This record gives sequence, structure tokens and C-alpha cells, in this order.
Amino acid sequence: MNSPGLEFKGPSVVLRVRKEPVAEVRPAVTPALRQRRKSAAPHASSGRGVRIFQFFLFPLLVLVVWVTVSSLHLLPANILPSPLAVLRTGWELITGEYGEKLSVHLVTSLWRVARGAAIGVPIGLALGLALGFSPTVESWIGPLFRTIAQIPSIALIPLLMMVLGIDDKLKLFIMAKACVIPLTLVTADGIRNIPKTYLEVGRVLRLRRWTLLGKVVLPAALPSIFTGIRQGVAHVWVSLVAVEVLASSEGIGYLMTWGRLIFQLDVVLVCVGVIGLIGFVLDFGLRRFEEHLLRWKGEAS
Amino acid sequence: MSSAFDISEEIRPSQTARGNAGALDLRKVSKTYQVNKQPLQVLQDIDLVVKPGEFVTLVGASGCGKSTVLRLVVGLDSDYEGEILLDGSLVTGPGLERSIVFQEHRLLPWLTVEQNVALSLDTDQRTPVEKVQTISDHIGLVGLRGFEKAYPRQLSGGMAQRAAIARALVSQPEILLLDEPLGALDSLTRSYLQLELLRIWRQEQVTVVMVTHDVEEAVFLSDKIVIMTPRPGRIRKIVTVDLPHPRDRVDPAFGAYRKEVLEYLAEDYSI
Repeated sequence: MNSPGLEFKGPSVVLRVRKEPVAEVRPAVTPALRQRRKSAAPHASSGRGVRIFQFFLFPLLVLVVWVTVSSLHLLPANILPSPLAVLRTGWELITGEYGEKLSVHLVTSLWRVARGAAIGVPIGLALGLALGFSPTVESWIGPLFRTIAQIPSIALIPLLMMVLGIDDKLKLFIMAKACVIPLTLVTADGIRNIPKTYLEVGRVLRLRRWTLLGKVVLPAALPSIFTGIRQGVAHVWVSLVAVEVLASSEGIGYLMTWGRLIFQLDVVLVCVGVIGLIGFVLDFGLRRFEEHLLRWKGEAS
Repeated sequence: MSSAFDISEEIRPSQTARGNAGALDLRKVSKTYQVNKQPLQVLQDIDLVVKPGEFVTLVGASGCGKSTVLRLVVGLDSDYEGEILLDGSLVTGPGLERSIVFQEHRLLPWLTVEQNVALSLDTDQRTPVEKVQTISDHIGLVGLRGFEKAYPRQLSGGMAQRAAIARALVSQPEILLLDEPLGALDSLTRSYLQLELLRIWRQEQVTVVMVTHDVEEAVFLSDKIVIMTPRPGRIRKIVTVDLPHPRDRVDPAFGAYRKEVLEYLAEDYSI
């Protein structure tokens, strides 16, 4: 008569044993483990060294190829200037000896980015929240929005140039659109995908509407919202450069076009480097801010 | 840890207790889900009376609807037939006089233990000072003093479940619903938390309805064991456990109850 009882208990025992040790052990042992590893290995910073190596390996390879190609004159110097020439031009652009000053164009571009993001981020957030929360809003403007999202900003430039001219209005519009699209879509998805279990907790505890929003819904959606903001800001930067290349009389994208027109590819290469660097810094800064806000995730994130 | 094992010492109601244990009355409760457009009855004519302050467990094979009973009582699902009465009045939707602890702790990971517990007092009328006091009292009640500022990820499974119990109790519910709260814990933590549950139940003097898979746990804790049978979920038998607390697992009387419950359950497996 005892055997059915054993059968009944079996599976639940296995489950229990498997689940708990992970949760129980992780917080307690990790620091101790790290400590032990530290004392055993004299090169405590080896993890960091490896990371720096990984970070620079491919850029270094590119540099080696570049140096090889230019020093063997496999390509004409006016098509592929040597790294040293590019560095010199970079320095001259910074100091202003070159005629055009990098900082002037950079400030112009960054000021545009700031204004573009200042318009795009609030609109994208508001739209994303509305689409995510309200099935009504979703059914009215969701499909239209997704259609517009399929049209690349660049494809709109010729049309918009007619309507808005080539001034700041055009740039702001393009940047705002570039920011709003990914931010809205990602935010709306983030809100729709909040685990049902959290919402049930909210219902069981009878949370007031604003408590539910501030303490449950927004924190749960915050990681996606941040991904959206990062994507949005990256799009602002990329689209601004594109507009400046096509239609502008100042800014980093204009500087690049100018370099190409006077056949100074060293100027173009300096601009490419600066554009990449700014994009990286923007993303890095936002990631840091995100980590700070999402501290509750802990080291795992 | 050692002090908590001295369950034999006299237990007096704590300052967190309000002594307002509720009476639960389920009358002919049936529930049908639509699965692939086919009706699937998960509960059929559940009649159950839980007296104030009673500890009742629901046991049964998976799919017998035990967790569904709790979801209906807590008010997460109001699409059912029959009546659910708490202290004589009909239950409609969630309410703070009924609290639930799920199998997963469901603490919000971005809030500390303290903030998670405080969430239950969102609509509470007490003053902020009183709220802070009762939150602290309940964190103490479940033995988490010193972990007020910890985030859920920093807690072990057992500690997180304690925090969830504090969150459920801080609103001073009349009835506490436990949906396999110890199901995901290792056996040592589990048997320790069973003692803690017993202590909390006696201190708080609250009505408890608990779903479990573990027959020994049911016999150890409950006044009444409701044995359910699946397809559709019905009550097979209600066993009243007439043993004084603390119960001795190797006592022959304890074993007899366990055997009785297991024999009823085995009927569902002997096909």
C-alpha cells in the first residue's frame, strides 16, 4: 500500500532539490570564489587584460592592413592616405590650421543632435506608452505607424527638402522621426510583454492606478524603454550625419562632403573616425546611465 | 534557527495579530475553461466550509483544480458558477481581506524587501508612522530582520518566500491563501519553513487555505485535509486531522493519517 505514495512524492522531490541550491548558493559563494581566485593567481587583472586585448584586436588588424597598403603604395596616396597623414590632418582640423575647424562643425552637429533627441525622445516615449497600454490607440494608429516605420528617413529627404527647405527644420524633422520610430516600437513591445505574474500581484494587492504604473508597469518595462532610447539616440546621430552629407552648409557631415569635394580623403577619414567615436560615446554614456537606474538587476545584467 | 524549532513553547498572539480570522464558504462552485473552443470543466460542485482560524490544505493529483480554487477565492478569476462567501458576504474581485502567496515568490525585483511589503499597504488608511511600524513588525515576524533593504535577487529561495508571506500578512487579511508556497524549496528549507508557517499561523490567528502536493506536509500542518480528484476537479474526501501541535512525524497516529490520505490519492493513479 505504500508504493503509490512513493510514486506520488517522487517527482516533486526531484524538482525541489534541483531548484533551490542555485538560488541559495549564488550570493554567498561568488565573492568568496573571487577572493580565492585572486589569491591563487598573481595576475589578478588578467580578466581585464583579456577584455582590452579583445577590444583592440580587430582595430589593430585593420590598422596593420592600412599601414601595409599605404606604405607599399598599393593604392594612390590621394585615395588612401597613410594613417600618419590622417592624424596630421586631424590635428590641423582641431587647431584650425586647415581652414575649417572641426570643433565648430562638431558643436553644430551635437547641438542639432541634442535638439533632435529632445523632440524625438518625449514623443517616442509618449507614443510607445500609449500604444503599449491602450488597445484603442493601437487599433487607431498602430498599423499606420508601422507603415511609416518601413519608410527609410533618407528616402523622405528629397520630398521634405521641398516642404521644409534645407535648414534646421529639415534636420530636426528627420532626426525626430529617426528617434521616434524605434523608441515607440520597442517601448510599446516592452509594455505589452510585462510578465502577467507582476500584473496579477498588482491586482491582488489592490494597487491604485498610479502605484501600479510607477511601481510595477514602468519598472518592468524600463529595460525595454532604455533599449528604445539607446536605439533612438543612435538613429538620431546616424540620420543627422546622413542629412548633413546630403543637404547642409555646416556640421560634421558637411565637413565630410567638403573633404570629398576637394578630394582630400584624409579629411573624410578623420570625419569617419569622429562620427564613429561620437556614436560610441553616446551609447556608452546611455548604457552607464541605464546600469545606474537598473541597479536592482545586480551583477548579472 | 534553534529557537524557532522550539515550537512546543507557548505561543501567544503577537502584536501583528488582529484576531479577525475569516470564515470561508464555497457553495456549489464550478469552473469551466474554454480550451480550443471546447469546454473543459476543471471544478465541479465544490462545497467547502472553512471555519475561522482553521488551517485547511487542498491535496490532489495535478490538474484537479486545487490552484484554481485559490484563484477564484482571491478574486483573480470571477468567471465561475456557484457562490464564494467570506464571512457571509459574496466575494467579487480581489480584496485585501484575502491574501495569497504563490509558488514563485513574485516579489518585484526592483523593490527592496521593505518596499515589496509596503506595496500591500497602498490603499491602507493608517498613518505613515503606523505603516512603517507594521511593516517592520511583519518583516520581524517572518524572521527577515536585517534584510529590509535587500533586493529579491540577494535572497535565497526560502528567504524570498518569507518576504512574500510578510507581504501577504501585512494588510492583516482575514484569510491567507497559500498556493504551494514551499513547493520549489529544498527539503531542509521546506521542513523548517513548515514550522515557521505553523508558528505564524498560530501567532497571527488567521484562517489558512493551502494547496500542496506533499501529503506529509498536509498532515503536519492542517486541521482539515481536502482531498481532490481530477477530471473534473471534485472533492473526494475531507479528512479531519485530530492531533495536537506540534505533531510528531514518526508517531503511529501521524502515519495512519498519512496512509489514509495516500490511499484516497492512490485511487487516481491506479488506472
